[in-house]
Amino acid sequence: MKEETGLKEEETGLKLAFKEIEDIEERDEAALDLLKKRLLGVAIVVLFFFVAIVLRLWNLQIIEGPEYEKRSYGNRVRIRQVAAPRGHILDRNGREIVTNRPSFDVLLIQEDSHDIGDVLKRLAPILGTDVTALWAKVREASGNPRYMPVRLKEDIDWKTLAYLENHNRDFSGIRIEVQPVRVYHYEDLAANTIGYLGAISKKELEEADKNIYSGEDIIGKKGIERLREKDLRGQKGQSYSEVDAKGFEQKQLKTVEPLSGREIRLTLDVDLQQIAESYMDAGEKSGAVVVMEVNTGRVLAAVSAPSIHIKEFIGGISLEEWKALLDNTKHPLINKVVQATYPPGSTYKMVTALAGLAKGVIDENTGFYCPGSYTFGNRTYKCWRHSGHGAVNLNKALGESCDVYFYNVGQRVGVDGLAEFAQKLGLGMKTGVEMEYEKEGLIPTKKWKLKSRKAKWQDGETLSVAIGQGYNLVSPLQLCVMTSTLANGGKVYKPQLVEQVVDIEGAIVENFKPELVSQTTGLDKYFKLIKKGMEEVVQGKGGTARNVAIEGLRIAGKTGTAQVVRLAQYRGLKEAVIPYEARDHAWFTCYAPADNPEIAVTVLVEHGLHGGSAAGPIARAVLNQYFNGKSGAKDPSKLVPVVIDPEDGTIE
Amino acid sequence: MIRIDRRLFEHFDMVLMLLIFLVCMMAFFNLYSASFPPKGYGSPPYIKQAYFFLMAFTAFIFVISFDYQELHSWNYPMYAVIIVLLVLAETIGNTAGGAQRWINLGFFKLQPSEPAKLMLIITLASYFSRKEISDGYSIRNLLVPALLTAIPFVLILLQPDFGTAMMLGIIFVSMAMFAKLRMSTYVIMGSSALGLGIFAWERVLKPYQKQRIFTFLEPEKDPMGHGYQVLQSKIAVGSGGKFGKGYMEGTQGHLHFLPERHTDFAFSVWGEEWGFAGSVILVGTYFLLIMWGLYVAMYARDRFGVLLAFGVVTLIFWQAVINLCMVLGFLPVVGIPLPLFSYGGSSLMTTMLGLGLLMNVRMRRFQNSMSRD
Repeated sequence: MKEETGLKEEETGLKLAFKEIEDIEERDEAALDLLKKRLLGVAIVVLFFFVAIVLRLWNLQIIEGPEYEKRSYGNRVRIRQVAAPRGHILDRNGREIVTNRPSFDVLLIQEDSHDIGDVLKRLAPILGTDVTALWAKVREASGNPRYMPVRLKEDIDWKTLAYLENHNRDFSGIRIEVQPVRVYHYEDLAANTIGYLGAISKKELEEADKNIYSGEDIIGKKGIERLREKDLRGQKGQSYSEVDAKGFEQKQLKTVEPLSGREIRLTLDVDLQQIAESYMDAGEKSGAVVVMEVNTGRVLAAVSAPSIHIKEFIGGISLEEWKALLDNTKHPLINKVVQATYPPGSTYKMVTALAGLAKGVIDENTGFYCPGSYTFGNRTYKCWRHSGHGAVNLNKALGESCDVYFYNVGQRVGVDGLAEFAQKLGLGMKTGVEMEYEKEGLIPTKKWKLKSRKAKWQDGETLSVAIGQGYNLVSPLQLCVMTSTLANGGKVYKPQLVEQVVDIEGAIVENFKPELVSQTTGLDKYFKLIKKGMEEVVQGKGGTARNVAIEGLRIAGKTGTAQVVRLAQYRGLKEAVIPYEARDHAWFTCYAPADNPEIAVTVLVEHGLHGGSAAGPIARAVLNQYFNGKSGAKDPSKLVPVVIDPEDGTIE
Repeated sequence: MIRIDRRLFEHFDMVLMLLIFLVCMMAFFNLYSASFPPKGYGSPPYIKQAYFFLMAFTAFIFVISFDYQELHSWNYPMYAVIIVLLVLAETIGNTAGGAQRWINLGFFKLQPSEPAKLMLIITLASYFSRKEISDGYSIRNLLVPALLTAIPFVLILLQPDFGTAMMLGIIFVSMAMFAKLRMSTYVIMGSSALGLGIFAWERVLKPYQKQRIFTFLEPEKDPMGHGYQVLQSKIAVGSGGKFGKGYMEGTQGHLHFLPERHTDFAFSVWGEEWGFAGSVILVGTYFLLIMWGLYVAMYARDRFGVLLAFGVVTLIFWQAVINLCMVLGFLPVVGIPLPLFSYGGSSLMTTMLGLGLLMNVRMRRFQNSMSRD
C-alpha cells in the first residue's frame, strides 16, 4: 500500500526514471506471459493423466466389473460342501445291510491357521499320531489353495472330539467335520454284489459332473454302490458364510441342507445270502451261489466266494493288500456270479435233451444203449460210468447223467441245433443283471468256430458240446437263469437285484417289475419231460444228487462236472491226489418245489470235483432255509446281525 | 501488523474453496465407512480427521493472511527449521510401519517429511523467480536448487520413506522444467537420472522396495504378499461396477481384504461403494481443483506467484495421480496418500497449507497492476 501511494506522489517528478522502470516491467511482463503460456502445456498433461485414470476406471468397473464382482464375492463368501448321507441298502425284508453313522474328521485350513507348525505339534499327541505324519498330509495338499481343508485324521473317537471342541480356541485353523460313513451290519455280506466306497480318483473326477463331485468326495467304487451311485449319493448341502480377510467367519449367510440319498431295497434275502455264504466259507470253497425266483427274476442271493473284505477297502486299500488279492488263487476280486464262466458240464444235458425233443430226434421213450463208451469216427468217447448204464431213456439219462445217451442226441441234432435251444434258455448272452463286467459266456456254433478259430467245425466236437464240455462256457447266473427258464416253462427273465428305490420323502422312485427277456412257446410238453428227468436226479433211486433231497419238498435239479484240464496224466488218478487247480469244477443247479417251482438255486464250487457231493449240500441248505425258514423253522443261531458299538462306532 | 485489505475478501476464491470442501466432505464420509467397525478404543479416524481439518483450516486462514511475497524473506529460515526437524526425526523420532518417521508433539505426530514438500516448493519458486534466465536454465544454474532439493531428499530417503523422497524429486523436476530448461540440461539430467537410478537400485533401495517393484511387474506371482494389496484394491474398485455396492456396503473394505483402507487405499473404499459414477465424480472434482489451480497460476500477478501456484498444483496433481495409479494397479505400491482424501494429519496439513498458498496467490492477483492505476 505504501508503494502505491509513493508511486503516485513521484509520478510527475520522476518521469524519466519511471520510463526506465516501465521498460523493465514490460520486459518482465513479456517473460511472465511466456511462463504463463507454458501452463497450457501443463493443462494438457494433466488432462492426459485424468483421461487415462477415467479410462482405467471404466475398464475396471464397467468392462471387468462383473468379473471383479465375482472375485469380491469369492473373497467374502466361503462355500462349504456338506456331505449328504448316502442312501441305505436294505434286503428285501427291510433289514439294514449297509447304513451310515457320523464320522468326525479333523481338518486343517491352512489359511485360517496362524502358526501351522505350532498347531500340528500340539495336535499330534491328541490325535495319537506323529507330527511328521501330519506334516506329510499338509505337504500332500500343497498344490491346493490354502483355504481347502487338509484331512488330518478321520473318524476320531468321542473323547478326542470332546477335547477338541472344548479347546477349539487353541487350535487355529483346525475344524471338525462330520461326515457320514458306511456301516456294514453284516460285515462282508454280499460284498462282491453290494461293493464298496472309495475316494474319487483323478480320472473319475475328470469324467464326473463338476457341479456334483469334487476332489474330496467318496463315491461308489464297485457293485451296487457304484452302479447305483446316482440314487445313493443324495445331494450335497452348502453352507455359505461370510469371512473376513483373515478367513474368520463373520456370519452365516445361508445353509442348504444336504438331501439324503435314496434308500435301495435289494431283492437279496439276508437269510439266504448268509446261509449260502456260511456254507461256502465253511469249506473254504471258491465259487458262486445264485438263488433266483423262477417266475420273476428276483435274485435272492448272489454269493461269490471267497468274498472281498470291505474293511480292507475303507480309506483306500494298501498296495500290498491289493497285490495279495490279485495273487490269491481263489480270486476274491472276481464276482464269480457273472464275471467267471465255466463249462456247464452235465447241466447242459437239459439243453441237449430239449433240442433233441424239439427237433424230433428223440421222444420220451427213445432208448439208447450205454456200454460205457461211444465210438464216433475213430475216437472213443467215454461215459462217466465206465461200466455203462445199459438201456437208457430220457428220464434215466437225465437222472443218472448218462453221457452216451446225450452223445447220441447231440450227434443227431448237430451243434447249431444245440446252440439254438441253449439261447432259448438264456445262455450265450448277458443276463443284464446289475453287476459289472458280466461275461457273455460261449455257446459254440459252426459259424462261430469259422469266424473266431478260422477252422471248420468237427463233428466230434459236437459230442463234447452235447455233454457241456468243449467250447461251452456259462456263468453261474446264466445257469440259474436257464434253470429258472426250464422251471417256468420257457420264460427267460432278466435277473434283478433292486426291489425298490425309495427317496428321502418316502416316495417310491423305482419298483420291481419282472422283465421278460424272451419266451419260448409250444415246447411245454418237452419241458415237462425234462423236468421229470431233473426231479429224478434228486428224488430218483439212481439220481446223482439224492443227497440233496429234503423231506416234504420235491426238488428238481442237475449235477454237473466241468473239466478243467484234460491232461492224460491225471486220468485214472485218485481224486485226492490230483492237484487242486487241476480238479474239476462241481455244479449243481436245481429248482423247487418241482411241481410248482418258486426258486432256482445254482451252485458252482471251483475244483469241487463232484456236483452232487460238493455243490449239492449248499443248494440243500439254501432250499431248507427258504422253505423251512418260511414256515417258521428258522435256526436263530444262523442269524447274527453285527452289533455296532454306539460309543465309538466300531464293529464288534 | 499486516493490514488486511477489504478487497482481499472480495477476491477470496469461492470456487477454490468449494472444490476443497467437496473433496473434504467426500473424504469425511468415506473415512467413516473405511474405519468401520470402530476399533473400540481412541477416537475413530473420521473424528480425528475432522479435528485435523479444523487445524488445517486454521493454518489455511493463517497462510492467506499475509502476502505471499513475504515468503521470499522467510524462505531460508523455514528451510533450516525443516532440515533440523528432519534430522531430529531421523535421530530421536519414531517409526510407523517401517517407513515414515515422526516426532511426537503430544497432541500431534509431526512427520517433518510432509511440510518438507511444501517448503521445497516455496524454496524453488523463490529461487526460480529471483534467478530468471530467459533462454532456459543451464545445468550450472540448477546446481543450487538441486542441492536445496538433495538435502531433504537424502534425509527422507534415509528414513526410509521412498514415496515422499520421490515426491521431492518430482517437484524439483516439474518446477525446473516449468521454469524452462536448456536442451543440454535435459540431456545431462536425463543421463544422470539414469545413472542415479542404476546406483539407487544397486546400493540404496531396500529389499522390500525392490520386492514391491518386482511384485508390481508380476503381481500374480505373489497373490498373498505384496501383490495382494494391489489385487484386493483392484477387486474392490472393480467390484463397485457402475453405481457401487452402496455406502457402508463395501465388503472388501469392511471385511479387511483391503489393506491401509483409510489411508493410502481410501479411494478403493470409495470406488467399491460408489462405483464408476462416484469415482468419476471424485476424480472429476480433483481434475477441476487442479485445473483451477493452473487457472490461479495463469492470473498470478508475478513470476513468484505463478511458480508458487504451479508448485502447489504439482504437489497435489502428482500425489493424486500416483495414488490413483497405485490403487488402480498402474503403479507399484508406494506410500503416497491421496491429498485431502486419505486419513492423516500431516498430509492434510501440508495440502491445506499448499492450497492456502494457492488462495493467497489468487487473492492478491490484482495488487501489483492496481498499484499502477
